[in-house]
Amino acid sequence: MAFRLASAALSIAVMALLSTAASASLRVVATTPDVADMARQIGGDRVLVTTIAEGSQDPHKVPVKPSFVTKLNRADALVVQGLGLEHAFLPALLEAARNPRIAPGAPAYIDSSLYVEALEVPTSTNRSQGELHPLGNPHFNMDPVQGKRMARAIAEGLERIDPDGAAAYRDGLARFTAVLDERIPGWLALAAPLRGVKAVSYHQDLSYFANRFGLVLDGTIETKPGVPATPKHLEDLVAQMKRDEVRLVIREVAYEMPLAETVAKKTGARVATVATLTGGLPGADTYVAFVEANLRAVLAAASPAGSE
Amino acid sequence: MGLERLCACVAVFALAALLLPSRAAHAEGEVAKLQAELAATRSDLADTRSALARTQALVEDLARKVDDFGTRGQTADAERVPPADETARLPPVNVDNPSISFVVDGKARSNTQGDDGVGFLLGSAELFLSAPIDPYLRGYASINGTTEESFDVEEAALVTTALPLNLTVKGGRFFADVGRFPHWHDEALPFVERPQSLDRIIGGESGAEGVEVSWLAPIDQYFELTTGVYNSVGELPDDLASLVGQPSYSELTYLVHPNTYIDITDTLSVEIGGTYFAVPTETRRRLAGFDVTLRHQPGTSAFYQGTVVGSEWYWNDQEFLDAGGGSSRFHRNGGYAYFESFFGRRFSGGILFDHAEEIAGATARQNAYSGFVSWMPSEFQRVRVQVDEIDQTGANDQRFWLQWTAFIGSHSHGFSTR
Repeated sequence: MAFRLASAALSIAVMALLSTAASASLRVVATTPDVADMARQIGGDRVLVTTIAEGSQDPHKVPVKPSFVTKLNRADALVVQGLGLEHAFLPALLEAARNPRIAPGAPAYIDSSLYVEALEVPTSTNRSQGELHPLGNPHFNMDPVQGKRMARAIAEGLERIDPDGAAAYRDGLARFTAVLDERIPGWLALAAPLRGVKAVSYHQDLSYFANRFGLVLDGTIETKPGVPATPKHLEDLVAQMKRDEVRLVIREVAYEMPLAETVAKKTGARVATVATLTGGLPGADTYVAFVEANLRAVLAAASPAGSE
Repeated sequence: MGLERLCACVAVFALAALLLPSRAAHAEGEVAKLQAELAATRSDLADTRSALARTQALVEDLARKVDDFGTRGQTADAERVPPADETARLPPVNVDNPSISFVVDGKARSNTQGDDGVGFLLGSAELFLSAPIDPYLRGYASINGTTEESFDVEEAALVTTALPLNLTVKGGRFFADVGRFPHWHDEALPFVERPQSLDRIIGGESGAEGVEVSWLAPIDQYFELTTGVYNSVGELPDDLASLVGQPSYSELTYLVHPNTYIDITDTLSVEIGGTYFAVPTETRRRLAGFDVTLRHQPGTSAFYQGTVVGSEWYWNDQEFLDAGGGSSRFHRNGGYAYFESFFGRRFSGGILFDHAEEIAGATARQNAYSGFVSWMPSEFQRVRVQVDEIDQTGANDQRFWLQWTAFIGSHSHGFSTR
């Protein structure tokens, strides 16, 4: 009996070892759904990706859950969007995760911002200017051209920690880039009516999107980055929008709708709801769908007959 | 005449016939030479064109770089060229200086009973320093001053960062890993004041000098186990003399604190911890407790942003010196329960119940019922009002608090104050 039990235990152990070997995918933790989607598309079967932030969340307010700590503790790689986007939650999680392989600057810390030329790099930073990111605006994922650069950095990062998969990662990158190369001209053509259109956003996170598709940003509902609106600021903003004939308010899905609607109502503008992360809008669960959904939402609100 | 002309023509043709082959050959040579010269000229022209194209490309590239340099950070079309050895873009850090932050926590208070009356308090003026020391160690210090106490080193500790087996060792003076709020700094609490139960049973913050080892289980389920050994944990009132903290291994305080966390749904989670610490010699002190925290974090943009429900309860059994030289043992308990809901991007409010007993002497039970509302004009300052109804021996007391807290610099006590 004892022999049978020992044999069964041994068999289970061997099977467990074999199954571990068979599923020897890289355990990748991605901070945002955008870099998670890119890592999945580039890495294919070689990676097992889990995500920390959800698409509808404000990336500056992602909760610090202990369940993220265990994921980071066992991760072979960490993919971050970068430029300080994750500063509100990632340092505390990494401190508790005890995984030096994915510490900032370590080879398995994959920073998707590596090839992105940052916009709005502050020349001086103090808190009177709000919650500024010292390395520049981190919401570059909203521009698909930057998306290609993010993918390149992610592919190179995966290759760095898994050289055996270099060919697979390069193929994955080529496929992902080809899709964007195919879609970007169409998006630019689609966005032609947006060129020169003035808009106000809730947070200062549309700079790359506006830069790509020709919007002219004319202020934010927030008083300063990360600082909620004051009545005086809203009064000034409404006056400015009327003076500058701004007819479009873009509200990011993580921010409350009523204030955006109030500003729009006072100025005769329409409200477009966009996401700052993949998955933030219904059905936009991939990076490509996210870019398209944002563009179509803004177009719908900006067109003469558009509506939310 | 005709014959002469005819003869002359024949002679010319004959001579021409004799001379033509050599002239034709000469002409062919000339043509070949000219063709070679033409080919060489064409080759030179192609080379020149190529060199010109290269020069033009170089000039255009230089012009673009000059433009990029002049408008760096202003256009998203230019692709960044990272240094060859760069793998991540990290904020600049002055390696010679630590991160520095300072908290100013001011309070105004009004009591209907007791000696406290009306007045202003410096609840906390905390200087916090932290920095990596080397690839294996980080250090931090917290220096705090209040109205009631002069500036003191609350914490000064070293923490390992690269031990194997998911181990972390902390040593120095720090807040021992007791429950949840006992190791939180005052300014991080959701209330104006630390619950009286924790003040009496734990002795305020769980301040200790010693060493702690914590282990994170290498499994998908979050489970952390902390063990520690200290001179003592917490502070005693000045009028009490403790028997703990004597210079003997068996009279040090030994702690164990398991802690786990469960995601019940995507938006609902629960965290459960247990604490036990004791002084082995004649069990001069033993404390047991539990902490439970339930969080609802829907992650939506709606007005309602989430709720935290938390409770801690502790039982303390401790021996104290009598004035006459003998000793007495007291078994006391206390704890709190609260909930706090978050609204919009800058409001929160909740209620707190607290039950406290004196750690020694007369029990002096006290039940406090509090309501509190916080307003955060920005991420870096907070205004809070709190009303306490205190049910105690003798006349009940009502307290009104106004608290104004601001954070200078990047102030965070990390994962422990999640």
